[in-house]
Amino acid sequence: MSYVTANNLTKRFGDNTVFEDIHFSIEQGEFITLLGPSGCGKSTLLRSLAGLNPVDDGEIWVNNQNITHQVPQERGIGMVFQSYALFPNMTVESNIAFGLKMKKLATQEVQQAVAKVIELVDLKGKEKQYPHQLSGGQRQRVALARALVVKPRILLLDEPLSALDAKIRKHLRQQIRDIQKEMNLTTVFVTHDQEEAMIMSDRIFLMNKGEIVQTGSPEAIYTHPANEFVAGFMGHYNLVEANRAKQLFNIDCQSKVAIRPESIYVKEQGRQYGRHISAPQTGTIKNHQLLGNVIRYQVNVQGCELTVDLLNRSSERLLANGSQLDLLFNLNEIQPVRA
Amino acid sequence: MQNVNTHLHKTVVYSIICLMLVPILATFIYSISSRWGATILPDGFTLDWYIKLLTDPRFLQAFGRSLFICIAALLLSVALVLPAIFVVFYYFPKLDKLMNMLILLPFAVPPVVSSVGLLQLYADSEISLVGTPWILIGTYFTIALPFMYRAIANSFEAINLHDLMDAAYLLGASTTKAFMLIILPNLKKGLMASLFLSFSFLLGEFVFANILVGTRYETLQIYLYNMRQTSGHFTSALVMTYFLFIFLLTWLASRFSRGIQ
Repeated sequence: MSYVTANNLTKRFGDNTVFEDIHFSIEQGEFITLLGPSGCGKSTLLRSLAGLNPVDDGEIWVNNQNITHQVPQERGIGMVFQSYALFPNMTVESNIAFGLKMKKLATQEVQQAVAKVIELVDLKGKEKQYPHQLSGGQRQRVALARALVVKPRILLLDEPLSALDAKIRKHLRQQIRDIQKEMNLTTVFVTHDQEEAMIMSDRIFLMNKGEIVQTGSPEAIYTHPANEFVAGFMGHYNLVEANRAKQLFNIDCQSKVAIRPESIYVKEQGRQYGRHISAPQTGTIKNHQLLGNVIRYQVNVQGCELTVDLLNRSSERLLANGSQLDLLFNLNEIQPVRA
Repeated sequence: MQNVNTHLHKTVVYSIICLMLVPILATFIYSISSRWGATILPDGFTLDWYIKLLTDPRFLQAFGRSLFICIAALLLSVALVLPAIFVVFYYFPKLDKLMNMLILLPFAVPPVVSSVGLLQLYADSEISLVGTPWILIGTYFTIALPFMYRAIANSFEAINLHDLMDAAYLLGASTTKAFMLIILPNLKKGLMASLFLSFSFLLGEFVFANILVGTRYETLQIYLYNMRQTSGHFTSALVMTYFLFIFLLTWLASRFSRGIQ
């Protein structure tokens, strides 16, 4: 049996079913991301794991123990909230020590554990400060330290990086991942940012409308989307109708096909391409965006709008709207997707 | 043009302040004058009236009674309102609208009408309440309710109640511990502001005190009323003492309110 197992989980608020018949299992030490658009039920599912929103149906097992009906205090689960939920009347030190004091540990033991975790999250010198005196990143690290110090069986992270600016976000997601690996901590992370999910996770549970629509490694989910929603949510997949697919790629298919923007090539004179890179077409640039290292073109190919990503290797790559492009497609990476 | 406007506004504001200060200043000067009869200025200045007032056992008793009634009413308010607001905000947030209507009820009926109603209600009661401090404590509780509820509710709105409680639960705290150790300390400023404000308001309340209790349990308000026939200098000293005490409480309330912001 896996370290964490959820069977048939269902949660309703009145007539509104937030999620229904959810199944999953998580191995010890895994970093799982619940990814999905706003309102898909991922935060409610996380809170149900914590016992803050008890489920209406189903069971949750942790380490062969049924915790479905346990109160949050008994579950041994640590959580970092989107708002951090630091206690404003307490210093950094007291915030972190709170959980240990509730466990009635000896003062010396509390002090040692707090000092250790403060060092772990790089907050030395901030012990006596209050939350309002800290920056967003520092608050986030206090919240993380407070959750870690009690040695939880599972760590839950509810969009903890969403309120931070891009630079701190990048730094902290790496720090969280490093600490998680170091402590071999089973972690469930909630985000709506697919880039964050791809970078941090061992596995992603992709959610939509209260269902887990696909689970797998970031690479598997990105390269083999299970359906149109996943293809649309993960990256900028081009979705091509079946009749168009026949016309453009000579592929017989009952459903739409998906092709990633980076799987479309702009033909370069004199360069040899593999046999699977074929189906030449000419398209007209409708629009382009410079994303730094990538140039994203919107190209019209026989009435079909396709997104094409090219590495920004030289200024020659930046073509004006209305220019003609000779395109080739990686046929191995064109795949049918369910509706 | 803007300068002229600013000067004009300042002149209007300062004029109104001066006008409002005139009776207070006059009362103060009268309270420290030995005699002020047919002359423009007092004959002399003295603190005798204050000494006489502060050594009058009847005044001290009345003051003590007022303090007792106000403090008891406010303690009752805190004991009932604080848990009630917590329950409303944490478990039934939709009830806040209903509570906002309920707390306005004490203001919907004029004090004279409601005090007569209370008299009728409790006159035939087996427990004799009319004329005792207990009926006044109960009544003052209802008067303090709007001040207490709004100020404490504002403090609740200012904190992230649900996340703080949830975080405390996950760290092993019970509801009582979470409330006492985390929520209550964050409400302290709002609570103190509402207490001082309600206290100063209740200390000056006259209608209920006069009709429901009167001279049977002489409070500060009733004492002031009963002393109106004695020396004007003495009552002026009494009014100024009263005013300074209420001013101090209001100042403390505003300081705590600023702290919340």
